[in-house]
Amino acid sequence: MSEEFKSGSGSLTSDSLEADDVLAGAEPWDPVETKLVLWSLAIAAVVLVIGLFVVPSSVLH
Amino acid sequence: MNLDCVLRHDGRNWVAEGRELSVAAPTLEELDQRLAERLRSSGQLAPGKRLQVFMAFDNSTIPQWIRQYAQHYFNRIVTVTG
Amino acid sequence: MATMTNRKWYTGMLSQEDWWAVWMGLFFFGLGLLTCFNIDVIGWVTYPTKWVFSPPEGGKGAISSAFYALGKKYAYDPDAKAFYKGLGWWSIIWTYVALTVVTTVGAACMKWDVKKFVQGWTVLFFLTIAVWFVGHHAFFAATIINKHKYGLDFSLSLGGGASFILALIVGLIIGNFFKGFAGFLSEAAKPEWYIKTAIVFLGVKVGYLPIKAAATSMKLGKQVAGLTGDLFFAGAVATIVAYMVFWPGVYVISRKIFKLPRKTAAVLGSGISICGVSAAVATGGAVRAKPVVSIMVSALVVIWAVIELIILPGVFTHIWPGTSDPLVAGSAMGMAVKTDGADAAAGELLDEFLRTKIATETNGAVQWPEGIITTSAVMTKIWIDMFIGLWAFVLAMVWVYKIDRRPGETVPASEVWHRFPKFVLGYFAAWWIYLAIFFGPGHAGAAEGMTLLKMAKAGAVPVEKGLRKLFFMLTFMSLGVITDFKKLKEAQFGKMVWVYFVALFLFIIPVAVIIAYLFHHGMEIPNMAG
Repeated sequence: MSEEFKSGSGSLTSDSLEADDVLAGAEPWDPVETKLVLWSLAIAAVVLVIGLFVVPSSVLH
Repeated sequence: MNLDCVLRHDGRNWVAEGRELSVAAPTLEELDQRLAERLRSSGQLAPGKRLQVFMAFDNSTIPQWIRQYAQHYFNRIVTVTG
Repeated sequence: MATMTNRKWYTGMLSQEDWWAVWMGLFFFGLGLLTCFNIDVIGWVTYPTKWVFSPPEGGKGAISSAFYALGKKYAYDPDAKAFYKGLGWWSIIWTYVALTVVTTVGAACMKWDVKKFVQGWTVLFFLTIAVWFVGHHAFFAATIINKHKYGLDFSLSLGGGASFILALIVGLIIGNFFKGFAGFLSEAAKPEWYIKTAIVFLGVKVGYLPIKAAATSMKLGKQVAGLTGDLFFAGAVATIVAYMVFWPGVYVISRKIFKLPRKTAAVLGSGISICGVSAAVATGGAVRAKPVVSIMVSALVVIWAVIELIILPGVFTHIWPGTSDPLVAGSAMGMAVKTDGADAAAGELLDEFLRTKIATETNGAVQWPEGIITTSAVMTKIWIDMFIGLWAFVLAMVWVYKIDRRPGETVPASEVWHRFPKFVLGYFAAWWIYLAIFFGPGHAGAAEGMTLLKMAKAGAVPVEKGLRKLFFMLTFMSLGVITDFKKLKEAQFGKMVWVYFVALFLFIIPVAVIIAYLFHHGMEIPNMAG
């Protein structure tokens, strides 16, 4: 077992983290992202409507 | 034919390690390319053949304090062609 | 170097915290079940009562009985009852020894540093007990209804909440000002492990609630069983709706307003949305982000979660919705507070606050059973913990096949199982087995089932009350110990701290409250005072 594991830090230590590109370098918005966002909102809307009818404790009951 | 290896990230590069095999690259795309090249040059992947590589992520890459919240990062299957 | 990979469906059963929460939870649940066969080996579990330095004549609160073994009060077998009565403060040692053995076996199997764990655990345990004791001084815990029994004219009416707040404060002081000591405790300061175990114990509580209510009347027993069932369904739907609104919302805020890269926005979307660290890691893996993204988001999540834990229970109790809609408050908590630990802890605090408040407002005429509000907070969280595995699978497919479009890569379906929160299995098993006892041999509280139900109660209470609260206390304490607010200041988080702030307070919390309202408005907690 590695020393890093024992000390609980994981094999990634702060020295080896390269974090610059985590916050910078945003890609341009892609149509597939619009699709992803709209699909998840659509799922939310459908589940909301069905749920309001089906769940006995919802405000519709 | 299948190949099994362990995937980890060393802070800069993704590293895939299997038996007598170790490739590293900054992106997964490059990693897959290098892996295919290495397999071709070592003769493990004959021209025209396909090889399925299973990469299991090594969760000890993630700090221990985080592992109590989630014990899985990801596994991937890559099919390389000779 | 040793690797930790998930290859088979059973991988990690002996080496992961998640599974160990199941084993530890079910072990004590199993010990408790033995009372159904009149074998009481669980009554030693220690529990505090309110105390004062000088109790009034004929009143309550002697320090000598500030801790007792729960078997003293709840054992069914008279011999066992007499034995547990004699334990008094020694019940702490019994509890320490039993828990030390089980947690140490777990730590060894998980390949932690056992020596460091036992040292840290021992200090953490006794520190927690000390805080539990102080928090039960009648000045903090007594209400206007019972303060006179302790000879007090004034009390803070915090109920058991006082101990939780104190544990968090002591933990935070250690984590922020005594970092060497926090390091010493770190191997044992595992809030997520403790809360997952406590959630399995909460399963015992949810299953036991109808049994408890049936002691008042058979009708009340069935009513409570129905209520927990309603929470189960309402929680499922509310959670899916909430998550599917939260995630795209935070994603758009991160991408359009804060101009973050796709992968960071996706991980933040999950991390801020509901289930914090586990979601950040699951989503990070799904979109194939470098681990550093998940690590940074996780570090941020745990700190914001504690800030929410400090603020929200008070807001929901005293501003809105208060005692008029307690289950809206509970489920909104589950959807708004990140990480299982901080959420369950906030739910428990809310439970204490609201029960004390309703009893105070009605002068004792309305008494809500313990734990229903906590259950509503945990129910939504448990659903999201299960749902995130599915959502991460969907995101993985979207990223691998549509966004990154890496040739030759496929996403294995086993990912869903590897991300499934295993402790949930323990929670449902404990809940449904007690429910089966209630409706089966317990005859739903009819006279012919009452003997068995009383025997079951003797084993359930030490687990659902004593061990559950102790593990909540350990969670509060260790959450404090691992929370270092200084991390928020670290420059590299800069932008993310603000995304988090904006998304959380202007988007997540309001939406959580609205959705909780839509599905839980008007749900009433039965009055145990008759």
